[in-house]
Parts: sequence; C-alpha cells; structure tokens
Amino acid sequence: MDYGIEQRDRDDTIRLRGRLTFNDHAKLRALIGEMKQAKGQRQTLDLSSLEFVDSAGIGMLLIAREEMTAVNKTLVLRGAVGQVKRVLTVAQIGKLIPIED
Amino acid sequence: MARRTPAPRTRFTALRGLAIDEERLSRCAAWLGLPSVAGADAGRRGHGSTLALLDGPQGAEDSAAWLPPVAAWIEPTSAPDAQPTLTWQTERAGSVDLYINLTTETANDLHLAGRVLTALAARHPLPPERRDDLELALHEAISNALVHGNLEVAGMKELSATELERFSRDLVRQMANPVLAQRRLEVAVTLEPSALAVEVADEGGGFQPNRTECHGASGRGLDLIATVADSVELKDGGRRIRMRFSL
Repeated sequence: MDYGIEQRDRDDTIRLRGRLTFNDHAKLRALIGEMKQAKGQRQTLDLSSLEFVDSAGIGMLLIAREEMTAVNKTLVLRGAVGQVKRVLTVAQIGKLIPIED
Repeated sequence: MARRTPAPRTRFTALRGLAIDEERLSRCAAWLGLPSVAGADAGRRGHGSTLALLDGPQGAEDSAAWLPPVAAWIEPTSAPDAQPTLTWQTERAGSVDLYINLTTETANDLHLAGRVLTALAARHPLPPERRDDLELALHEAISNALVHGNLEVAGMKELSATELERFSRDLVRQMANPVLAQRRLEVAVTLEPSALAVEVADEGGGFQPNRTECHGASGRGLDLIATVADSVELKDGGRRIRMRFSL
C-alpha cells in the first residue's frame, strides 16, 4: 500500500493505493502519526484507488479512528469500490466510522 | 469385497524448477522419477501435470508460474529428511487438484492467496466478485496460519496505536527468527464441478476459537471467511482449517 496526502485548511485527504493488509503495519503506524500531527481537523481517507483490504486492514482503520478521536479529529472514509466496499459493508464499519461515497 | 485405494486426482509427469539450483532440481527429479523440463516445454508435453519446485519466492513471482500445467508448488526442505519429505508431499499433491507447500517466509513474500486464485481461475471461470470473495477468504485463512500459527504473533487486542506498534514489532521479530520463518504452510485445493474445498494448515501451536471474546482490531478474519464459505471446519487443534465454497 502507498499513500499520498493532500492538505487543505481544515480538511486533509489521504489517498490510499494498492492493497491494505497485515503486511502494511509499518506504513499505517507512520500514516496515523502524520494524521495526528496534521493541521486539519477532518482527516479523510480516499479509498477509491484501494484494490483490496483484509481484516487486519479493517482493524488498522479502526485504530486510526480511535487515535483521531483522542486528538479531537474526525476520520472519514470515502470512495470505496469493489472488494473494499463489500468488506466495509460486511464488517459493518459504517456503524463505527462515517463512510462517504 | 476389498476396498480399493482411490485413484490419485493429479498425475505428475514433469518437474519444473522455479529459480532452484540445477543440481538440486536433478536430485529431486531422480528421487521422484520425473523428468525436469523448462517452462515452455512443460506446456507442450500436453498430458499430465507439472510439479514446480521453488527455492524462495524468486521465479514464482511471474503469474505464468501459476498457470496449467503446473498443479503443485513445493519448496523442498534442505534438512536430512529431504527425500522422504518431498516424496510424501508429492503423494499428498497427487491426492488433490492444486497443492502448495512453502516456508512461511516464501508464502508471505508471494502474497499467496492471489496466486492460488490465478491457478483456480485458469481452471474454473470465476465472476470478478466471486473471485474477490474467494481471495479474501483464502487470504484470511493463509494470514491466520502465517501470523498467528507459524509466527505465533498475537492479534491486535485493543484499538490503539500502542497495540499496532506491538503487533508490528512482534511480526518483524518473529519473521526474523529462522526457525519460525522456515515453518511450513500447506494449501490443498479440491475442485468439484460446482464446489471448491480448500484446506490451509500451519505448524504453529493451534488455537481455540472463542466466540465470546470481544473484537479489538483483530478477530474479524474467521467471521469474514464464514460470510464467503458454505462451511468452515477447524481441525488438528486449530492448525488446519477446511473451507467449502460453492462455485
């Protein structure tokens, strides 16, 4: 998985690309650190270029949400398609993290 | 009436080395009584299946290595019992339609579930959504076997960056332990006309599923498998998972 960050005044968008699996633990640690430090109050993960997510990837998204809450930021997931969209639905992640189309 | 042993499902007629030392390949060929062939020749032989031998992920990163006629992928051990082990693994490979037996390290480097799907899709048409679902179920079973089984890394129990750090540190440390990284992962696939049976086995300490355990960041893998599979069975103290999917 790779990611790129686009910063605006109060809203940062992070585009995730490729596959998000248990092997991406180090990248997710770095990303969560960057999101906590970022100025924007709202941190949006753009998932439209993410091709595959596994249960550990879902777990890491939930950790990101907890860590954002701890520093008074909001985490939003946007644009999931295909396999990623189905897994988010099956795991009922929408109950825990706001999901936008 | 005497019961007959069922005929093997797969008959191997050739060996193919995937970036494995020539001398080692010849030795394995002699043990198994199979000719070793180069990639293009294996396709031209036209009958029987090919058994691919690996030595690390090199040579198996090309998707052509996962297409027919190759039906089994084995990374031979270099331990003193290499010959009986390879003979036993080849017999086991013959009893199913697709068979994989690799070290933890190699299986992880190859992102194995996607490779299994390449091999499956070449034998049975799979609509894209079904292919994604099967890949997820296989990936969850394989990563459970690698991470929690062979590498003995506990799942992320709490939703915190500290727990993610602990998981990350443990995973890197355990993968660097040669004893654990050399533990085996086995995948055995039986294809029926309208169903698929897949067994994934590891050499870890086994585990007891605990339905009452609350979810932290881990623990969704088996639930995700259950949403895709028609049935899921844990055997051998949790070291082996058997899944059945309709096709």
